Amino acid sequence: MSADVELSDVSVTFGSFYAAKNVNVKVNGGEFFSFLGPSGCGKTTLLRAISGFQEPSEGKVLIDNKDMSGIGPNKRPTALIFQNLALFPLMSVSENIAFSLEVRGVSKEERKKRADELLELIALEGQGDKKVHQLSGGQKQRVAIARALAVEPKVLLLDEPLSALDLKLRQRMRTELREIQKRVNITFIYITHDQGEALTMSDRIAVMNEGELEQIGKCDEVYNNPLTPFVATFVGENNPLYGKVTGIEGDKAKIETADGQYLATMNESKKLNIGDESIAFVRPESLFIPRDGDNFDNKIDVNIESFEFEGNLKNFYASLKSGAKIKFSVPNAIDTSSITSGSSIVLGFESSKSVILPKASLAID
Amino acid sequence: MMGIYIFIFFAYLFGPLIIMSITAFNSAEFPSITPWECFSFRWFNEGKIAYDGQHLAGLLSDWRLHDGIISSLIIGAGVVTLSVPIGMAAAIVLTQVRSQLRDIYYSISIMPVLFPGVIIGISTVVLWDRIAGLGGEGFIADIGRNGIFLTILAQTCFISTYCFLIFVARLQRFDQTQEEAALDLGASQTQVFFKILVPYLSPAIASAAVIAFLFSFENYNTTVFSILSDQTLTTVIASKVRLGISPALSALALTIIALTIIAAVTYEVLRRRAEKRYAESQEKFVKEKAADNRINKKYKAGFKIPKGITAILLIVVFATYGATQIVKNDLYGQSCIDAADKEKKSKFLEQLQTLESNELTDEELSGGSLGGNQDYGDIFGDPSLFQDFGGFD
Ligand SMILES: Nc1ncnc2c1ncn2[C@@H]1O[C@H](COP(=O)(O)OP(=O)(O)OP(=O)(O)O)[C@@H](O)[C@H]1O
Ligand SMILES: [Mg+2]
Repeated sequence: MSADVELSDVSVTFGSFYAAKNVNVKVNGGEFFSFLGPSGCGKTTLLRAISGFQEPSEGKVLIDNKDMSGIGPNKRPTALIFQNLALFPLMSVSENIAFSLEVRGVSKEERKKRADELLELIALEGQGDKKVHQLSGGQKQRVAIARALAVEPKVLLLDEPLSALDLKLRQRMRTELREIQKRVNITFIYITHDQGEALTMSDRIAVMNEGELEQIGKCDEVYNNPLTPFVATFVGENNPLYGKVTGIEGDKAKIETADGQYLATMNESKKLNIGDESIAFVRPESLFIPRDGDNFDNKIDVNIESFEFEGNLKNFYASLKSGAKIKFSVPNAIDTSSITSGSSIVLGFESSKSVILPKASLAID
Repeated sequence: MMGIYIFIFFAYLFGPLIIMSITAFNSAEFPSITPWECFSFRWFNEGKIAYDGQHLAGLLSDWRLHDGIISSLIIGAGVVTLSVPIGMAAAIVLTQVRSQLRDIYYSISIMPVLFPGVIIGISTVVLWDRIAGLGGEGFIADIGRNGIFLTILAQTCFISTYCFLIFVARLQRFDQTQEEAALDLGASQTQVFFKILVPYLSPAIASAAVIAFLFSFENYNTTVFSILSDQTLTTVIASKVRLGISPALSALALTIIALTIIAAVTYEVLRRRAEKRYAESQEKFVKEKAADNRINKKYKAGFKIPKGITAILLIVVFATYGATQIVKNDLYGQSCIDAADKEKKSKFLEQLQTLESNELTDEELSGGSLGGNQDYGDIFGDPSLFQDFGGFD
């Protein structure tokens, strides 16, 4: 059983401050949906509005097309996994998991049965009698999920549940979460400031900035066709090239920068006109060192400054004539021994792999 | 060096109590160690009928003390039942109020501990006297003039503040998202209170109850006013001390000390047992989880002799020394007491006789030459001096 969740023009204010502003989004039943945004952008606030801890100052929250205003958190078909998990330290693991059944007056045997089922789901069979503090971080995580699933909510809300875990565990929990979601088949609304996490797990993501939604879409869509300079630089890395539009050819626009002219693809909903201040974006992995026979429609002269080894990738930091910085990555398998600090080379990139957007502030500044 | 400081500190702390405890076993009428009369338990049970017929009550035969203890227990129970919930409610309210109001609310809440206890006692009596006066005869008038009831109210006034502080300290570490998590899982506000908050607060509830009871039990300066015609343990002791202290009080003190020590030791034993059980479960958990090479096989929980043993040894040495002295000089048992009594009685009779032989005549007793004031007649000079003065008109 899963449910649609719809936020219709939701705003949340604290005094005169908009923690969330005019948020419109519809999450489909059974979907794994993520809200992605930097710290303080209002993600937790939105989640609290969905779960009922925070009444929106304007707008409505609808779950299964039912208006939720005035309905308390204990009456909504949602379960929230808190940023700090909020497990009950005085109860055993089983008691934690069966808490929601206990408050509904379910009998003791029934509760035990359900707790055992859920322990199996989270691969913690036979550990129900442990106290919460005897569990490792990842185990606590899974107990929190089991606890939230005990009453079969229609929507599970997760507030950065993996942020406290170390990298390896985080990666494992991502897959586990995804698997659990497929098994129980309910709507997951997931919150994170980690774009990697959002991209690997979600069906769709919504990128938030300063309380407003910047873009909603499938992961690859958002990654490849960002709608704003913020999204372009927050989701994955991007090199900005500032300039003015000097020509339009179909869905491509020509941008004149201090270092030369480039051709980039316009977004359908962000049409540009000649003379507009704009930014072209090119990702580090889309910049290539041309080999014989390669014919890129954009070329760019750079001066290598430094180099960084990341394992699977090698990252080069270079500067343009104007002093602008640029980063490009090369798979480790490619031989780059000829490229040293101080050497000048030409890089190429395809106009189809570069987006051009009206000028606005980036995520990094 | 540290040991010496600690020794001096403890001697300062417990010295008076130890001396007082020893005097409880001396059969003499005044609490003393030297001169030692006889070793006896009389101050713990029947006391002594003195040779002049006066009854010097022992602990068991002193009904006023018993009544006082009973009232103190009743008042203590009443104070605990009132101040623990009041303190808890006030502390929970503190977590709910907005930040600007918070400081004001906090200051007002702790004010009762700053008032002198005397004033709290008196004002309670004054208020309830008015209230009792309103209703004429009947229930209100009865409780309004009931010392035990008034004392419970008066003590609760400031003891609930101590409870409040205990709860505030505990609540400060409470993770409020736990409440939200419970709500989110479908619990009602009442269920959140009883299933999440109360279990979390239970250690604070226990310590608040103990502290409330102890504060109530030992309170004097509020109680002495609010108790009216009744008596509590402290007011009984105070009124006794006014007539001169008796070794029965030493016996009482020793009993209270003994009860306290037994309670503390029991608590400590239970706590250690629970701790050990917990450590064992932890150990098991560690062994289950840890890879084999991470378990220190040489580790063994050894038996260590506690440092406190020296203090205990010291006490034992002194006690044996005292006991041998008593036995050697035959300073114990009924025969010793009889002998001492006899000697005192004969001294008393002797004194009586000397008194009788020196008995004064009636004339001497009625004042004699000292009694009149004629010697001072001219203290204002010549009485005829003002005769010509017409007086004030
Ligand atoms: N109760 C509150 N009163 C006033 N301001 C608040 C309150 N709760 C949140 N805010 C503000 O609203 C903004 C959004 O907060 P929110 O907790 O939603 O951020 P977030 O996106 O979850 O951040 P993070 O990733 O750090 O958890 C922040 O600027 C925060 O200071
Ligand atoms: Mg947050």
